[in-house]
Amino acid sequence: MPGRSVWVLLVVLALALPSTGQQYLEEAERIMSSTPVIDGHNDLPWQLLNKFNNQLRLPEANLTVLNDTHTNIPKLRQGHVGAQFWSVYVPCETQNKDAVKRTLEQMDVVQRMCDLYPETFSCVTDPDGIELAFRSGKVASLMGVEGGHSIDSSLGVLRTLYRLGARYMTLTHSCNTPWADNWLVDTNDEKPVHHGLSPFGKIVVQEMNRLGMIVDLAHVSVDTMKAVLNISRAPIIFSHSSAYGICPHRRNVPDDVLRLVNSTGSLVMVNFYNNYVTCSNKAKLSDVADHMDYVKKVAGAKAVGFGGDYDGVTGLPTGLEDVSKYPALVAELLARNWTEEEVKGALAENLLRVFRQVERVKTDLQNTAPYESPIALEELEGSCRTNYGYSTDAGTAQRPSAALALALVLAPLLSVLY
Amino acid sequence: MKRNMAKLLWLLMFFSDIVPFSCEKSMRERAIELMQDARLIDGHNDFALQLRILYQNRLSRVNLRELNLTHTNLVKLQAGYVGAQFWSVYVLCSAQNKDAVRLTLEQIDVVKRMCNSYEELELVMTSQGDSRRIACLIGIEGGHSIDSSLATLRMYYDLGVRYMTLTHSCNTPWSESSSKGMHNFYPSVTGLTAFGQEVVKEMNRLGMLIDLSHTSHSTVKAALNISKAPVIFSHSSAFSVCNHSRNVPDDILQELKRNKGIIMVTFNADVLACGRKVVNISTLADHFDHIKEIAGSESIGIGGDYDGVERFPEGLEDVSKYPSLIEELLRRGWNETELKGVLRENFLRVFREVENEGMLTPANQFNSCHGIGLLFKRLLPWPDQ
Repeated sequence: MPGRSVWVLLVVLALALPSTGQQYLEEAERIMSSTPVIDGHNDLPWQLLNKFNNQLRLPEANLTVLNDTHTNIPKLRQGHVGAQFWSVYVPCETQNKDAVKRTLEQMDVVQRMCDLYPETFSCVTDPDGIELAFRSGKVASLMGVEGGHSIDSSLGVLRTLYRLGARYMTLTHSCNTPWADNWLVDTNDEKPVHHGLSPFGKIVVQEMNRLGMIVDLAHVSVDTMKAVLNISRAPIIFSHSSAYGICPHRRNVPDDVLRLVNSTGSLVMVNFYNNYVTCSNKAKLSDVADHMDYVKKVAGAKAVGFGGDYDGVTGLPTGLEDVSKYPALVAELLARNWTEEEVKGALAENLLRVFRQVERVKTDLQNTAPYESPIALEELEGSCRTNYGYSTDAGTAQRPSAALALALVLAPLLSVLY
Repeated sequence: MKRNMAKLLWLLMFFSDIVPFSCEKSMRERAIELMQDARLIDGHNDFALQLRILYQNRLSRVNLRELNLTHTNLVKLQAGYVGAQFWSVYVLCSAQNKDAVRLTLEQIDVVKRMCNSYEELELVMTSQGDSRRIACLIGIEGGHSIDSSLATLRMYYDLGVRYMTLTHSCNTPWSESSSKGMHNFYPSVTGLTAFGQEVVKEMNRLGMLIDLSHTSHSTVKAALNISKAPVIFSHSSAFSVCNHSRNVPDDILQELKRNKGIIMVTFNADVLACGRKVVNISTLADHFDHIKEIAGSESIGIGGDYDGVERFPEGLEDVSKYPSLIEELLRRGWNETELKGVLRENFLRVFREVENEGMLTPANQFNSCHGIGLLFKRLLPWPDQ
């Protein structure tokens, strides 16, 4: 009887399906044991500040047993995390105040984390360093500055952050800088100020190209995305953004920008936060896979990466609750017929390609002089600032009398410098 | 008889002219030979400040070899047999609690760019190595540059900073300056607070030299008590010779000797001569002689303070003139070993000791002593929500 054979078929399928799922997971684990994931953005350093005031030696801060964050050492291992860009985020409230100092403090906590857990973390600053860490079974640890407010509009500060090991900078967080607009200007909440980048903002991008610092466009406005994609000589990344075409949230990347991502060899590292994945506060693992499929479709398989945003958000999809769950997501991609090569690309190869190209551009530009013009004083706000050392032709301003005034003020002050 | 006497007299006069002349020449030659062999390590130069004031740190606008608006340029440094220079990344006290950190990073940036752009210069961070280039080192002048953040201190060390002067002419929240009444910051702070002691301990742990120029006597005593490594005065002179608040009194010089530290004698005419009109090489050499008597020549170095002050002794107007000082000390009977010590060996001894101390001490936990981090937890949302 046909009915019974249908039942038999259903039973057989019901028994077979989990094992198919199991197969994909095993396949994912196999691939990830030689190509672990390079994740673009994790806010553990922010958690360390909030919970422990960066005191890593408190017993409750032990990363081997810490259990109320998305990230800890056992979970990183289970998740086959091979490299992590740790965000050295400081809030927009520090802009024009002590953002620079607080950024240094976050960079310090990442370095101390590497010092304290040397069998797990290896603080590195380049693609070779990442690959070496893969081979030695450690989590390559890099730093990303999250928000241009961290440099306080100073190219000197940008350069020193690079020297301290920062290898990407997200041009804005959720606030404008004096030289770039953030994503909120694309909503009703804020009005655009620069419509992308100001002239000084362009200089920042050019200096980042020269230094070999990856430009990150998560959190920026669409105009800023387009401006950067037009002028940057190196490919860029979105360290933790998803696809606007699926979830029209302004933190996500619209299709026309995805096409620019494709034509520039750039990278979108997909964010797992529910609100950016389903535009609601609930999501599941397959919704994230939808975003990865979408980016692959519009921008190409070489433009896909992982940017979980763990410990930077509270709502994560079922199936992706913490950093141990990457293999499950990879298994889902395999089930959707991603080839092994495409999967490896998303896991690590795409980021390494971008990073190497960024370094190639740095080499190409090695005979270019560093940019030295300071931003014009009137483009800056806030009273926690001295205009010490500024004179007339700072940036784009012309104030001839200021130079003389400055010289007159500073000359007698020299006498106190003994 | 009379004619023979006249001839004799004439001959004597002739010889008395020649003989001292050739002695002087050989003193000068000796000084130069000595310095060729043992080039100077100078403890303090504010050229980076001039680059900021004159050129807003735009190196593309200036040729550092020939620049003649400043005491310092590369040609003069070479003529002065300078082998290593601590460049000060000083920022004004009025930036305290404002943008001192940013400004300090900008000064560090200009020093690094300067040292990368000229083949005569080479950035170094340790006591090792011996190149024919002029070694660039970096010193922070004033604890206000760390904005009371030990993490910021550590990051400065990572960037290559190898000494910090605990104060400039203003108190920090944790240390007392020798300057009174110039600024109004933290007037009740005396010596080092508890946090100030943590700063000193962290500097020991990192291997960063503790510089006590500009600090009050209480601060000096407190630092000498806690520091496990020798300390320095990067640019100060002798209080007994001229009782200026920037100078070091004899009792502290004696403690410095026990500490095996170093005072890098400074050339600022105002602190050398206490208002006397004539200030020359001899005035400066008096300071050297006095300190040698109290603390021994092994406690002495040189920290000119060029481009940081206006008035210098006659004969020492710029950084090419160091050999004249060495010549004068030779004349006063200093021997070559003592002078090589003053020129570089004493400093290197201190630097190595500080580096060793930095490697020996196990890593300790130091937290930022501000509760502001906890405030963030209550007030602010997650980074991406």
